[in-house]
Amino acid sequence: MGPTGIPSPCSLVGEVMANGPVSSGLIEMHLRVPGGSAGQPTFFPGQFAMLNRPGASAWTFGRPLSILAWEGGVVRFLYRAVGRGTRELAGLGAGSGLTFLGPLGNPFPAETGGLRPVLIAGGVGLPPIWSWLQLYGARAGGPALACFGARSVEDVPWTLVGDRWRVAVEEALAAGDGRASTGLVTELVTAELGDSALDGACCVMACGPWPMLRAVRDLAAARGWPCWLSLEEHMGCGYGVCKGCVVPLREPSADVGWRPATCCQEGPVFPVDALAWDVMQPEGSP
Amino acid sequence: MMPAWWRTDPCAPFRIGPREFPGRIWTASGCFAYGLTGHEMTAPGYASPYEGLGAVVTKTITPEPRAGNPMPRLVETPAGALNSIGLENVGLREFVRDVMPRLEAAAVPFVASIAATCPEQFSDLARAVQTAGAKMRHWHGLELNLSCPNVAEGGHDFGKDPDTVAACVSAAGGGAGDRALLVKLTPNVGDIAALARAAAAAGAHAVSAVNTFVGLDVDLATGRPCLPRRFGGYSGAAILPLALAKVDEIVRKAQVPVVGVGGIGSADDALKYFALGAVAVQVGTAQMRDPFCAARIARQLQTG
Ligand SMILES: Cc1cc2nc3c(=O)[nH]c(=O)nc-3n(C[C@H](O)[C@H](O)[C@H](O)COP(=O)(O)OP(=O)(O)OC[C@H]3O[C@@H](n4cnc5c(N)ncnc54)[C@H](O)[C@@H]3O)c2cc1C
Ligand SMILES: Cc1cc2nc3c(=O)[nH]c(=O)nc-3n(C[C@H](O)[C@H](O)[C@H](O)COP(=O)(O)O)c2cc1C
Ligand code: FES
Repeated sequence: MGPTGIPSPCSLVGEVMANGPVSSGLIEMHLRVPGGSAGQPTFFPGQFAMLNRPGASAWTFGRPLSILAWEGGVVRFLYRAVGRGTRELAGLGAGSGLTFLGPLGNPFPAETGGLRPVLIAGGVGLPPIWSWLQLYGARAGGPALACFGARSVEDVPWTLVGDRWRVAVEEALAAGDGRASTGLVTELVTAELGDSALDGACCVMACGPWPMLRAVRDLAAARGWPCWLSLEEHMGCGYGVCKGCVVPLREPSADVGWRPATCCQEGPVFPVDALAWDVMQPEGSP
Repeated sequence: MMPAWWRTDPCAPFRIGPREFPGRIWTASGCFAYGLTGHEMTAPGYASPYEGLGAVVTKTITPEPRAGNPMPRLVETPAGALNSIGLENVGLREFVRDVMPRLEAAAVPFVASIAATCPEQFSDLARAVQTAGAKMRHWHGLELNLSCPNVAEGGHDFGKDPDTVAACVSAAGGGAGDRALLVKLTPNVGDIAALARAAAAAGAHAVSAVNTFVGLDVDLATGRPCLPRRFGGYSGAAILPLALAKVDEIVRKAQVPVVGVGGIGSADDALKYFALGAVAVQVGTAQMRDPFCAARIARQLQTG
């Protein structure tokens, strides 16, 4: 346990228990890991782990995946197979070994200070937002509004995104399908809030692709709501030692007005005002 | 099982020049930051990632802080990586004021890596670190980084010429004092042994070989180099045979102790350097993947 109450990162070897599709594009994996003292929090929503193959088949760098849940010695992940590493992950059967370094990074705030939480997740950005709703949703200031965006209705992991979620999909729905609305998740949020937004102060937490994060930033800024975003940067170590994952943070005292911060250690969750948006590339890097 | 010829205890004290180091398995500069984050880490069977380590070579520092290169800074390759970090570092002042005292307080054995653009700057850096560390028990030496291939104005060309190597070693004190003076060599030269001889003649107690190889990868989607600065430093498992060849050249053609660096990810990899005559080894890229990598190698080489 670190000084801030955040569990210390642990280097472990886990065993895949289950690993299979939960929607057309998303895969859920259950990894059994040793240890975990009873009664202690294992992770905080927004934290992630670096996963790798053990021994000689290891990739040069681990792959960062957000922790969806961690209970009873089993860590759950939700991911999309997009490249070499995640495709190899997708091919792993039960019993396969994986190295696990985590939990890593700074989580979303656990308290909303009486503000109603507006939770926004896009695609594989679901895990940190989902776990926040699970762990803190009931005790926050006012009922959480949780919205999930996906490409299509087939891509929605309905086992995870149940009654408490509103869902938007980009591809048009079949006639009569009432499970989701058509459009972008940020449009859904705006529609859901409607006028109620005017009388209730909210705070926003989001994770998803860059265009979504920018839209979320604007949505929160327009209403003057505090907002936290979980960012994705390419990572080497995941624990702060290589400086391979920097994002620009505002730093008025620096000549250039910003400083590089490690996404893995100072993030991946950042308050939106801390980020130096003016020097960011479209994908977030300085 | 360790080979029959291996009878060294990698966690027993040994000397480099005037200084006794607590062990022969080190972490390489730039791959374990300033050696301060590890205390929070745990792994079954290990008290900390520092267990059994002879030294952490800290991230190279420069006279002023550096913000580093644009992203992306890392490209993974099938058995290695290209990096273009650009020597992002806290700068000399913060290093001596904050980092060194914290390492000393945490009892982490360390070697301070320094880089500059001219011999005069090396002199200033070395003197400042020596002053700050004079009474420190856990500061063991300096490593002059003459060889970082991804800083446009600095190190690279610099460390390719024996005269400049000698000038920097002399400027950094020529090995006077009670701590070890090491020089980190670039492999991107024809005759690396000549650099090692120049370093030794100027007073260096050992050379660390090697830094990263110049490399490039192409992003097929755009048809352009993956890294904004085109070239990066190539490291990781893929460079093991390349680095071993450089170390062998130095061992056979220069009379100077060698600290082997490059592609080490296992006890067997480390043993290959020792077999060639290296006195110690450093773990770089593999330490990024596993903060306990060097500690695991030390234990395995100690207990078999
Ligand atoms: C903090 C954090 C949490 C994440 N959580 C999840 C999650 O819960 N589910 C999920 O599906 N994905 C998540 N990602 C993205 C995931 O890490 C990448 O999809 C994955 O690394 C791709 O690896 P690859 O080998 O399949 O792709 P490749 O493109 O073959 O990978 C090449 C290199 O680039 C890196 N890389 C590629 N894409 C990304 C990316 N988008 N973000 C970071 N690094 C990348 C890889 O790690 C690898 O080092 C997260 C990323 C971060 C930074
Ligand atoms: C991300 C990264 C940063 C590095 N930074 C430095 C540095 O600041 N100074 C230095 O002397 N070497 C630096 N190196 C080089 C390593 O110390 C080492 O010499 C090289 O990577 C080869 O060893 P390896 O294959 O074990 O990584 C860096 C390497 C990497 C991968
Ligand atoms: S990934 Fe190495 S510092 Fe963030």
